[in-house]
Amino acid sequence: MIIQTDHLKVGYGKKIVVTDINIALLEGQFICLLGPNGSGKSTILKTLVRMLQPLGGEVYLNERNIITMNNQDMAKTTAVVLTDPITPGLLTVYDIVMLGRYPHTGFMGKPADEDSAKVFDVLKMVNAADLAQRYFTELSDGEKQKVMLARALAQEPKLIVLDEPTSHLDARHRIEVMLILRQLTQEKGVTVIASLHDIDLAMKACDVAILIKDEQILACGTPEDVLQEDLVTKLYGMENATFSSKLGGVELRSRQQGTSVFVVAGGGTGAGIYRALAKQRVHIITGILTENDIDYHIAKAIGIEIISLPAYETIGDNIIQRTSQRMDEIKQVIDTGFPIGLLNRANVELVAYALEKGITIYTSRSKTEAQKLFGEQASRFVYVLDYFELISALRKTI
Amino acid sequence: MKVNIPKQTTDTTFLAKRWKRFALVIALFAVGVVFFLILNVALGSINIPLTDTVKTIFKVQDNTTYQDIIWQIRLPRALGALLSGAALAVSGLLLQVFFRNPIVGPHILGISSGATFAVALAMMGSYLIGMTAVNPITLSLASFIGAMVVMVIVIAVASKVRDIITLLVIGLMTGYVASALSSFLIAFAQSENVFRFVIWTMGSFSGITWSEVYILAGGGVVLMLGSYLMAKPLNAFLLGENYARSMGVNIKLFRYLVIFLSCALAAIVTAFAGPVAFVGLAVPHLARLALGTSDNRILIPTSILAGAGITLLCDLMARMLFSPVELPVSATTALFGAPLVIFFLIKGKTTI
Repeated sequence: MIIQTDHLKVGYGKKIVVTDINIALLEGQFICLLGPNGSGKSTILKTLVRMLQPLGGEVYLNERNIITMNNQDMAKTTAVVLTDPITPGLLTVYDIVMLGRYPHTGFMGKPADEDSAKVFDVLKMVNAADLAQRYFTELSDGEKQKVMLARALAQEPKLIVLDEPTSHLDARHRIEVMLILRQLTQEKGVTVIASLHDIDLAMKACDVAILIKDEQILACGTPEDVLQEDLVTKLYGMENATFSSKLGGVELRSRQQGTSVFVVAGGGTGAGIYRALAKQRVHIITGILTENDIDYHIAKAIGIEIISLPAYETIGDNIIQRTSQRMDEIKQVIDTGFPIGLLNRANVELVAYALEKGITIYTSRSKTEAQKLFGEQASRFVYVLDYFELISALRKTI
Repeated sequence: MKVNIPKQTTDTTFLAKRWKRFALVIALFAVGVVFFLILNVALGSINIPLTDTVKTIFKVQDNTTYQDIIWQIRLPRALGALLSGAALAVSGLLLQVFFRNPIVGPHILGISSGATFAVALAMMGSYLIGMTAVNPITLSLASFIGAMVVMVIVIAVASKVRDIITLLVIGLMTGYVASALSSFLIAFAQSENVFRFVIWTMGSFSGITWSEVYILAGGGVVLMLGSYLMAKPLNAFLLGENYARSMGVNIKLFRYLVIFLSCALAAIVTAFAGPVAFVGLAVPHLARLALGTSDNRILIPTSILAGAGITLLCDLMARMLFSPVELPVSATTALFGAPLVIFFLIKGKTTI
């Protein structure tokens, strides 16, 4: 057990921010703290590294109560990456990372050869060795964060505590930082505790997720167990978005109004159309989808009306009839160009039905494919090449 | 998405190159100090040829006139300027790192205001009790006590406040209070005293005696050495207080030591030369830019040399520009320092 807390209370001055924290974390685990802004993630992290006094309870680092540890021992065991802005003047990346050797060098901080070698080791680990001679202030946010991570690593800690390490970073650096952290835990056995805002990244990279809300730990456990739709929605108090653990991300709920459009989809061909139409606030009905279809999960997360049947079922006559009745009320239909197989032949019938009824129907299929499927009726299609054309065409009629 | 990893090189030649630059800069400033020291001794109302100057300094020649001028007047004054410049530069550097603010100087914590108030009290007060002239030792003592009282107040406050900026504001405010009290005294003082007081507040190295040089040298060297020994935690502090603490710096002790060292350095200079402006503010910037680093292990010695050389040059200008009228030294240091700071600001190089 690298770090353990016993009825820990954290906060500033007299104000308690999070209470009754009992966690025990193992060596080589990647732990993330999730919670809304102001929920106390940073406060907990700062208390674990003694930057804040606990308001109650104890913190044990390697079985030792941290209040009994001296600064040097503490610095050799834990390193931090903070959100504090850093203005180190004319220090190079090499100098900054060398500062991480602080607890290991002598009184004047004169680096030995092995300190210098260590600096380049950790710089390589974060893919930043080529930055060594650059001034820190000239770097991009992403590069800066990697360098601060290298500085923490140069301290050779057992535990690294990071406060929002991926904030302000672009997609590439976000992923790079998370991969480096995961590699650290897996290969070096370092324990990493980070507060994060990207639930999707947290879910995919961490071993333990700790959810914090309203002064307490809402849940703690394996991300796959803990990060369920209802809990995440509760955690962030999201009203207009849905977290889907299967999709591993968040979909924005559409605020639909006005004319309805029927989308005949399946096999992921609906995803783009749902999102594009949801942004236009078009009212969407989609079908016929089985519950194992990815389009089903996306439509559900966006809050679209779905005509569905259980997983791996064949579409029966009964449901086709019901759907064609719905279609009669609707003036526009979209054929997403879904793949056709044994189980969803009925959807082709639905499209054919719409063509017969003279309903405006857009398709993303090629003319040859459409003719092969629908024969002469295919001439009634409005052919669209991309989402832009589809949206423009729909706009004219809505 | 494929994340492109740049190729990883471990080219360490830049470290060796950097050391060459450091050595060159230090050598250059050292030569400058020697050069200006000799020039300060040689030039004046009577110009002494350079060879005679050097010979007299090293006592290989006996020319009584030269010897008196050099050994009684010019050498102690030049050494006083040299030591004061070095001390002020280090004091300014410590505070710039401590407050993580590039436009902070040695007097930011109200040191000079405290000294000024004490001197005003001594000058005006001695008149009230019937003395007409105050002797220089009393003034030095008053100045030092004034500076120390302010320092003790600041240290006492430093143990109470968490935030460093609060400390800065308290230092500034203490300074304002001391200045306000000084102006009370001025309002009630005789014009002759006011004139002497005003001249004092602009600083001067004239009339520095050997015993004062010894005190400056003794105190200054110990304090500067102490500052140099703080280089490692000072470097850690460049990343801010939280990072410094996480690396094992004892923040409380560090605070006391930095405040003590910087205030004491400023106080001994102010005691003998009055408040000297801008050296402590501008010199660390000059040294940083010349070196291209903020590493205090190399920056402190360089600032010492640069501060010494520049103060010697400024005192030379103060004496020579409008000779026989002598300018207060703050006039030349400010004239030299302020444009330099503006230049750094515009170039975007002002940093800690």
